[in-house]
Amino acid sequence: MTDSGLPASVAAIRRVQQDPNRLGQRRHGSTEPVEGVGLGTTGPATKRIIVGYGFWIFLLSDIVVFSCFFAAFAVQRGATAGGPTLEQIVDIRRVAFETAALLLSSYTCMLSFAATNARSRLWTQIFLLVTGVLGLVFVLLEVQEFAELAGRGITPQRSGMLTSFFGLVGLHGVHVTIGGMWLATMMAQVQVKGFRREIVHRLICFNLFWHALDIVWIGIFTIVYLMGSNSTGSGA
Amino acid sequence: MFGKLNLSAIPLGQPIPLITSLVVILIVLGVLTLITVKKWWPYLWREWITSVDHKRIGVMYSALGVLMLLRGFADAIMMRTQQAAAINAMGYLPPEHYDQIFTAHGTIMILFGAMPLVLGFMNFLVPLQLGVRDVAFPTFNSVGFWLSASGALLVNVSLFVGEFARTGWLPYPPLSETAYTPGVGVDYYLWAVQISGIGTLIAGINIVTTVLKLRCRGMSYMRMPVFCWTALCACLLIVAAFPVLTATLAMLTLDRYLGFHYFTNTAGGNPMMFVNLVWAWGHPEVYILVLPAFGIFSEIFPTFSGKPLFGYRSMVVATLFICIVSMTVWLHHFFTMGAGAAVNTFFGISSSIIAVGTGVKIYNWIFTMYGGRVRFEVPMLWSMGFIFTFIIGGLTGVLLAVPPADFLTHNSMFLVAHFHNVIIGAVVFAIFAGMDYWFPKAFGFRLHKGWGIAAFWFAFIGFWVTFAPLYVLGLLGMTRRLQHINFPEWRPWLYASVVGVAILILGVISQVVQFVVSIRDREKLRDVTGDPWDGRSLEWATPSPPPFFNFAVMPNVEGEEAYWGIKQRAVETQQLSPEPQYEPIEMPVNSGVGFYTAFFTSVFGFAMIWHIWWLAILAFAAAFAGFVFFAWRDVHEFEVPAEEVARVDRARRAAREALLERLSQQGAMS
Amino acid sequence: MSDLNERADHAPGDEPPGEESGHWVRNANLGLAFSIVLTVAAFLLAGSHVIYMPAIPVALLVLAIAQMGVHLVFFLHITTGPDNTNNVLALAFGILVVFLVVAGSIWIMDHLSQNMMPTNQMGQMP
Repeated sequence: MTDSGLPASVAAIRRVQQDPNRLGQRRHGSTEPVEGVGLGTTGPATKRIIVGYGFWIFLLSDIVVFSCFFAAFAVQRGATAGGPTLEQIVDIRRVAFETAALLLSSYTCMLSFAATNARSRLWTQIFLLVTGVLGLVFVLLEVQEFAELAGRGITPQRSGMLTSFFGLVGLHGVHVTIGGMWLATMMAQVQVKGFRREIVHRLICFNLFWHALDIVWIGIFTIVYLMGSNSTGSGA
Repeated sequence: MFGKLNLSAIPLGQPIPLITSLVVILIVLGVLTLITVKKWWPYLWREWITSVDHKRIGVMYSALGVLMLLRGFADAIMMRTQQAAAINAMGYLPPEHYDQIFTAHGTIMILFGAMPLVLGFMNFLVPLQLGVRDVAFPTFNSVGFWLSASGALLVNVSLFVGEFARTGWLPYPPLSETAYTPGVGVDYYLWAVQISGIGTLIAGINIVTTVLKLRCRGMSYMRMPVFCWTALCACLLIVAAFPVLTATLAMLTLDRYLGFHYFTNTAGGNPMMFVNLVWAWGHPEVYILVLPAFGIFSEIFPTFSGKPLFGYRSMVVATLFICIVSMTVWLHHFFTMGAGAAVNTFFGISSSIIAVGTGVKIYNWIFTMYGGRVRFEVPMLWSMGFIFTFIIGGLTGVLLAVPPADFLTHNSMFLVAHFHNVIIGAVVFAIFAGMDYWFPKAFGFRLHKGWGIAAFWFAFIGFWVTFAPLYVLGLLGMTRRLQHINFPEWRPWLYASVVGVAILILGVISQVVQFVVSIRDREKLRDVTGDPWDGRSLEWATPSPPPFFNFAVMPNVEGEEAYWGIKQRAVETQQLSPEPQYEPIEMPVNSGVGFYTAFFTSVFGFAMIWHIWWLAILAFAAAFAGFVFFAWRDVHEFEVPAEEVARVDRARRAAREALLERLSQQGAMS
Repeated sequence: MSDLNERADHAPGDEPPGEESGHWVRNANLGLAFSIVLTVAAFLLAGSHVIYMPAIPVALLVLAIAQMGVHLVFFLHITTGPDNTNNVLALAFGILVVFLVVAGSIWIMDHLSQNMMPTNQMGQMP
């Protein structure tokens, strides 16, 4: 199968015609990488990549759930049933604080993972703790927002618009809360087990999750709060 | 204390569910007693319940699916006989009961019958065909299966405690809202489907990751078997579409439990939004069912024609095309809801276009047979029955895709006949073809051929005798889900359909007999070589059944149809490839997390249905605590020593030597 | 298993093999800086009269998409290298699905409500 004197293309065609299944004399169980079309011909990926990618796919499915709630909000944002409109319930100041808290927590989450890669348990835990505290601030501000609205009689049971508002924002808040519980579990695991392979894999997943929550929040504060506070009413 | 639950939940006044429940409870108790007396619990716990082996999980999924197909079929018998009996008469099923039956029939057949079977096939085959040892997340796989089983359990519990939904298999509001269905029926549906939906999503993520990141050396994308391509695309659709179902059912749950206004018909709710969102899931769902079915046929046609699959690359392109376009057609399920001409036209065109992908596939299968030496084994019979049946079903689908025609046939028996035509023709036929084809691989012995042929012919003829009259009835104006028939001129067609049901019953009996006879005669039907059909893909390189680690040494793939190349070379060189260097293998340990989580999830679901809040909180906390507890384990894998691997593989090689002798004596390979 | 030094893939949100933590922290700082700029811009823009009023929702959307991109690139390290192809394809698929569901639903529901009978009740859809 050598191409002595022949152009490479002719040699390649000869090879395919003579040995279409490319059996050659290659033994099975040989360890040299086999050339083939496309990526991923060098055998199964490492566990780290598999775990990260699988979680990435899960996150995409979670984003689709959020998109349904966004769609419901887009459809129902005018369905106020004689009750309060979106401008009347949006509090931009509080949302600014929530946004700041969540954005900073994403940043500290990244720093904690940098510490993990440097195998520093102390700094990992410190930054994880700060992330958790900032997340808690976010959730508490949101609870405060909901409580104040409820105190004014503004509840999801009042109208379709309020239902989809509380549903979308509340779904995100529930995700942040669950993320906080996961964070606490991870801190405990890091403390007890150190940086074993599975712990690092789970920290990768947690990072992905926390950043994705911030990405969803960008959508929420833009579409629900900032556009909602606009009196034009015509959104996305 | 017990929420809404009290003794009136037990259907003492309704003989059919009451007697069915008693029979089922007796059978379940009998099975449990048998297991206990024979001391099979340790074996079952160790080898099946806590197993994370994809082959075991695949078999359990399939068993669950087959069981639920039987229950769904029982519902179908009741429906067809009721309609035949209720022509200007009472029939034997009152409306509130009949409505539960058609709801349960659809829900069970699609979500608890076909889906688990499809997931079971994908789980069993994909790692074997890719030349690897397990899926990407074996423990998670177990969790996914047991959650699906949990959902199925809840649906069946509704038979003897409470009632099921009466809304049809998609619970349209406002009927499914609390104002019009205050009972627990819709709640049973919601929690059962939500829980099993999570299980399905887990399986989808698992298989996508496996196909994309976990293939043996040399197995590039264009060397994968077509079944793996269809599994990938079906699971991409699962990841894309099931979240929509989760979100939509969650919104309906919020409406029912907390008085929200997503889909109510007051206070700004929008019932049409439910229809829109649920079909945005519902259409990809049917492609999730049908793509693996197409994949199964793409494996069977080449094997039994003795030729490689015609047009591999066009098959891949067609599969990807179907995957993407299936997300752009969902409005054809509600052309009549009033979106107007522009919207209807767009979705009508996209629904017609998607037929092109399937057409390409059908031509490829036919051209695969052309010029080959066709062997009419049972899987091939099912496949050829599929070609005939599915083409007609697809054509009626293209008819329905034209909005003006759909305005006349929407929700008529024509529609009912169409979707049964395509689902049974493709998915059910594929399941039986695949069962016959891969049963020897999974269990080590073939299924009895004679009873398989009988089961096929009864099913094929029975299907057409049952459903062809329904096409006619649809065009005569009969709508679906009727408990009472006011038009005597429909009588001959309704009676003909019941005759078809009788033939189908014979088919089901033949299938069951086939299993019983095969198990009884399993030594005679034993598959000793691992390659009973002269297969072409890597699963046939393993013994039957495969060892738990699948391959002693992971293959090094050099072309399409990896196993066929190995066989050809072995015959040409008159010897097996040299014995490889055996090394220890790491395999995941078993785990009870799936069973444990699903158990408490079932309790949680039941408690939520009946508004027993304290129990719901306890069960949820227990499920979460168990999850954390299992996540705390230190040991994830165990090592299989090289000697053990060598011992198992040498036995395989001995069997292969025998096969090689036989093939050489037969002369040229087919 | 495959050697990481071969051309192996790279999981999102993970540092690629052989990268020092300095690079990682630099990404985090840049990402935070860009995000702050985009967020402050969005908050200042809403309800202001800096640009033509009807264009504000579009501008807010552009800022949001830009910030999502900043998160993906700097925090999640989604690049266009061959080791990221699977991640980008999965993301593209997800974006396609989100677009189809959201835009499709809005289009469909809008047309449905256009064809509803007019009503004098306040509680109906606009």
